[in-house]
Amino acid sequence: MANKQGYTLFATITTLKNTPSMYRVRNLFPILLLSFFGLFPLRQIQALEPPRFEKDILPILYHHCFACHSEKQAKPKGKLRLDCVDGIQSSGVVVPNKPDESELLKRVLLPHTEVEAMPPLKGGAQPLNASEKAILRQWIANGAKMDSWVRFDHRQTAFMQTDLANPKKNHQQWSVELQERIDQWHQARGTKLNPPVNDESFLRRVYLDVIGRIPSLGESTRFLESKNPDKRAKLIDELLASEGYVSHMFNWKADLLRLNTRGLSPGQPGKLYDDWVKEAIRSRMPYDAFVRKLVTASGQLWENGAVGFYVRDLGMPLDHMSNMSRIFLGTRMECAQCHDHPLEPINQKDFYQMVAFTFGVSNLGNPGGYSLENVKQFPEIKAKLASMKKDEALEQSISGTIAPMKRMTLDTDKKLTFPETYGYDTTLRGKLVEPRTLFGDEATIKDGDRRKAFAEWMTSPRNPRFAKNIANRLWKRVMGVGLIEPVDSLSALPNPTHAELMDFLTQMMVQLRFDERAFLAVLLNTRMYQSESVRETPEPGTAFALRGPQLRRLSAEQVWDSHLVLLVPDLDERKSTFQLSGVLDPKYLRKLTAMTADEIIAQARINQVEHARKRQISLRRAEQQKERAAALARGDTAEAQRLAVLHAKENKETADSNPKPESEGEITAKETDPRWKLLPPNLIRASETPLPLPLGHFLRQFGQSDRREIDAFNRDPNTTHSLALMNGDLTNRALADGSLLRRQLAASGLKDEFRTQLVYRAILVRSANADEIAITKNATQESKTPEQDVIWALLNSPEFLFNH
Amino acid sequence: MYPFHSDTGRRNFLERFAKAVFGVSLLPSVRALGAHTPKNHAKAKSVIFLYMRGGISHIDTFDPKPGIPEMGGVNAIPTSADGVQISEWFPRMAKQMHHVSLVRSMTSTQGIHDQGTYLAHTSYVMTPTITHPSLGTWAVKQVGSPNRVLPGNILINGSPQHPRSGFMPTHLAPLPIVDPGAGLQNAALPPKTGETDFSRRTALAQAMGKGFVQGTPHRDAAAYLKVQQDAVALMKSEDLKVFDISRENPKVQAAYGTHTFGKGCLLARRLVESGVRFIEIEDAHNWDTHNDQVKSMEKMTPPTDQAMAALLEDLHQRGLLASTLVVMATEFGRTPQISNVTAGRGHHPAVFTWWFAGAGVKGGNVHGKSDGSGNHVQEKPVTMPDCNATIAQAMGIDLGQMEHSPSGRPFTVADKGKPVGELFA
Repeated sequence: MANKQGYTLFATITTLKNTPSMYRVRNLFPILLLSFFGLFPLRQIQALEPPRFEKDILPILYHHCFACHSEKQAKPKGKLRLDCVDGIQSSGVVVPNKPDESELLKRVLLPHTEVEAMPPLKGGAQPLNASEKAILRQWIANGAKMDSWVRFDHRQTAFMQTDLANPKKNHQQWSVELQERIDQWHQARGTKLNPPVNDESFLRRVYLDVIGRIPSLGESTRFLESKNPDKRAKLIDELLASEGYVSHMFNWKADLLRLNTRGLSPGQPGKLYDDWVKEAIRSRMPYDAFVRKLVTASGQLWENGAVGFYVRDLGMPLDHMSNMSRIFLGTRMECAQCHDHPLEPINQKDFYQMVAFTFGVSNLGNPGGYSLENVKQFPEIKAKLASMKKDEALEQSISGTIAPMKRMTLDTDKKLTFPETYGYDTTLRGKLVEPRTLFGDEATIKDGDRRKAFAEWMTSPRNPRFAKNIANRLWKRVMGVGLIEPVDSLSALPNPTHAELMDFLTQMMVQLRFDERAFLAVLLNTRMYQSESVRETPEPGTAFALRGPQLRRLSAEQVWDSHLVLLVPDLDERKSTFQLSGVLDPKYLRKLTAMTADEIIAQARINQVEHARKRQISLRRAEQQKERAAALARGDTAEAQRLAVLHAKENKETADSNPKPESEGEITAKETDPRWKLLPPNLIRASETPLPLPLGHFLRQFGQSDRREIDAFNRDPNTTHSLALMNGDLTNRALADGSLLRRQLAASGLKDEFRTQLVYRAILVRSANADEIAITKNATQESKTPEQDVIWALLNSPEFLFNH
Repeated sequence: MYPFHSDTGRRNFLERFAKAVFGVSLLPSVRALGAHTPKNHAKAKSVIFLYMRGGISHIDTFDPKPGIPEMGGVNAIPTSADGVQISEWFPRMAKQMHHVSLVRSMTSTQGIHDQGTYLAHTSYVMTPTITHPSLGTWAVKQVGSPNRVLPGNILINGSPQHPRSGFMPTHLAPLPIVDPGAGLQNAALPPKTGETDFSRRTALAQAMGKGFVQGTPHRDAAAYLKVQQDAVALMKSEDLKVFDISRENPKVQAAYGTHTFGKGCLLARRLVESGVRFIEIEDAHNWDTHNDQVKSMEKMTPPTDQAMAALLEDLHQRGLLASTLVVMATEFGRTPQISNVTAGRGHHPAVFTWWFAGAGVKGGNVHGKSDGSGNHVQEKPVTMPDCNATIAQAMGIDLGQMEHSPSGRPFTVADKGKPVGELFA
């Protein structure tokens, strides 16, 4: 009994999203909970209007039934199809006006412990919640009408562009029309926008949303004192065109693509992929071109950084497709990698048919590692070695030298077959998989170029989910909540609350030719964006109410970068001095790729000598340590000291500029720019900081993604955050007399209350109210460090950590 | 990341509410058919997981093959366990072997560091579409931790790529201690700040924060004000002292040695004394000895040998060993054949060694065998999931209990691993 209740609770909470809004009462959960105790009759929550099929019943059938009872299965379970009128009517599972005689309802009402209960838990499906069961009952009781519905189109029709005859000229016009749509949405519901924000709130918010940090004192003052009536629109344009935009957008793309500067693959410098993405953003590459270039990328990483897209998932073409589908199409397919998806009508065959487009891409070379394609010099090298005396050491050095080249990304003849364990149709086991798109148009493959066809299908304006996906994600970026949530679960069903608005945004994305900055400009100029934020906790499963942006914690990167504003002048211009060198230097790698067989052998000998030299140094250092330790063990400290001096001299002569073997090929050069020479090298924006970072780093503590998985960031409050803010390095630096912030405050010449106001502006980007001025004055009366006290308190105030 | 009190987020509220009202966890408890746990297998109040990063050579440590050329001239020595010999590199551990069960028949299919390490920590094969929780996270999720104030899951000197809490909530992730000699990060006042300054500043911050929180119903706003109070309390609390190893008797500190791994082991003992459930310490020596095997072992083994032996001895002396399971783990072994070119050994997942001690594990015991040259398993193959099942069962975790990822996929603590009952007395 307890199990059943607990179980139904689970079903209620996790499938709340399927409950149409008209049935959703505030705090539905306690009502349903109480209903289990018979304390609150369910009848109370039934609305006045009878359920409509496509709006209310179809989503239930889709989420709970189609995975087994649709045209998607070669043999629908029990020969029952529920995805078409014929299927439902001819089966007799629904008896109009007689819910208690309808098998469909009877089966979903059975307790999940019964073998005949539907959907079966064993299959991994989610059972219906009480509300859904009630809606079904009501629909049947009212005649089980299906209006004009005939069948469910699993393939979804292509997205059709509208309004092409009347293209908007600029983003201001788009903004106005978007706002009109939002206003209409409110009118239909009797709701409205929150009040508009003042300049201070707008200033802080727009800096954080567009360039990922708070404004500096100078930037704030300039904006707040400007009398230009168009200053907000101008600021939006400036920020979107700035280098700061690249930094903030990079962090977002990096989380999606799982970029890892030093962790891409051994010998494959991830920095080259990072840099390619940054340059794509900086050069305003349209989003569709960006995706096409990634999907069709070929070659070596140092010739085309975009191949990082394939190197990242080396040897894992199935997982690669799962990830691709999630980030570019907002469709999670990974369940279907191994079996039919239990919660959606996507089956394993669908999945394999998608993979068939990119399965032929290889960066593993042949089983031996080398082929004519990726290391064209290899046959000649092999021949030359055969003609020489066997030199195992040289062979190993050659192998090590050409190793990076074998990860070349290229198309091969490899063809995907159905696995030997494929359970849904044993006749397909071992057979070739024909590529087929999951929805929308079919892809036309020309000249056998599957990737090109796939990329064209994916990025086409006609693709039902491509433009929609990026539009929804970008909306979420600045408004805090997607129109469709979760953002990687776009469905074949129209969103119950925001279908029209989502369609409008999708149209806009297509007409703006996938220009992300232009799209953002439209959103940022709306009155909705410039309204007060929604300050309540968002409820999972509740549609966004469009009153204003959702208040949310800053990302780890935004917190870090905002601290840095107080410490580093011209922050957006400061780049990392992390460099690739030696065997990871792209210049060396490009040279290597073009070498002849003889030149490679010669290079291998050079590498061999260098390697031996480093090894000698390492061994000698170990010996030195032993000698000193032995002296200390004997109690002979004088000898130990003598040895220490001798060894230091010896080591200087064999000075090795290259760092430890583990980080071979990476160096951090000295900072030469006078603006930053006196600052530590790690005070650079998060987008510049090479990953992975150690666990104790500020960014990791505050939840930066480890880039192992898509969007693996975290924003939950934690005691370690407070410890870091109270006692950590960044706060101490801000408080120090010589910090940028303190110097700026001193240079202002302001005192007392005016000085305090300046501190507020610098850190919280607003003025203090009279109470706050009084509290600060009072608290710091006896203090010898009043200014530091206020800075500390503001940096440790929750307000600093939120986008409000 | 781990808050020192559970947060009052909606999920936790529901879980606690569900537990109180229905006596079950929120998700349907679909159990796989699992073995019951014999009483003598579930004695571990705490687990100390010693992870040798890089794949430590088995024939150079706990599975020597005396006399064969592959040993490279390194000898085996007798130990305090009858009939058991280990490598001469571990003279101090040789005196502790009467506490230890060696599993010399470990075997794995993952011969790459990332993948092998991931499997060792999560019992699942690494995939780019999901991150599985590490064993420590499973532990605090399923059986909590005896000490209600300190975090129950701690990671000392952990790798940046550690899977941590995977898809489970982040408050179950291990608290990272980067430098065990430095105590809890950021828990001490900065050098120039006095107590009065600190009190003044925290009071001011709380006053500022109240205003914001009053106008912001979002639960994280109040949560951030609360974690600040928690942090201040923590800084003043007695519990913080457990992280300070300098408080330990200098003789004891010297016994563990000054290497990071040694300090980490000392910290782990203190944490176990305070009732922390799961502590992992990574030994960051470069055990990935592709070059100069013998010389590298000569250099690296003394501090590790010292630390491990000191830990077992110390736990035993304090009567903690009976309720503490200590495990030495690594991602794979190393090829017995030494390379002509590099004088090193390559990766060798076909057979390698883990060991177990404490919490009812048989002492002086050897489970399984590798063949005469240390190349393959000869008897009783054991996988890493099997070991994790053994550890989980020792903590009293139900091996059949399924947990679901946010996308609805079910997982168990050790996947298909079967506990090695023969390790227990």
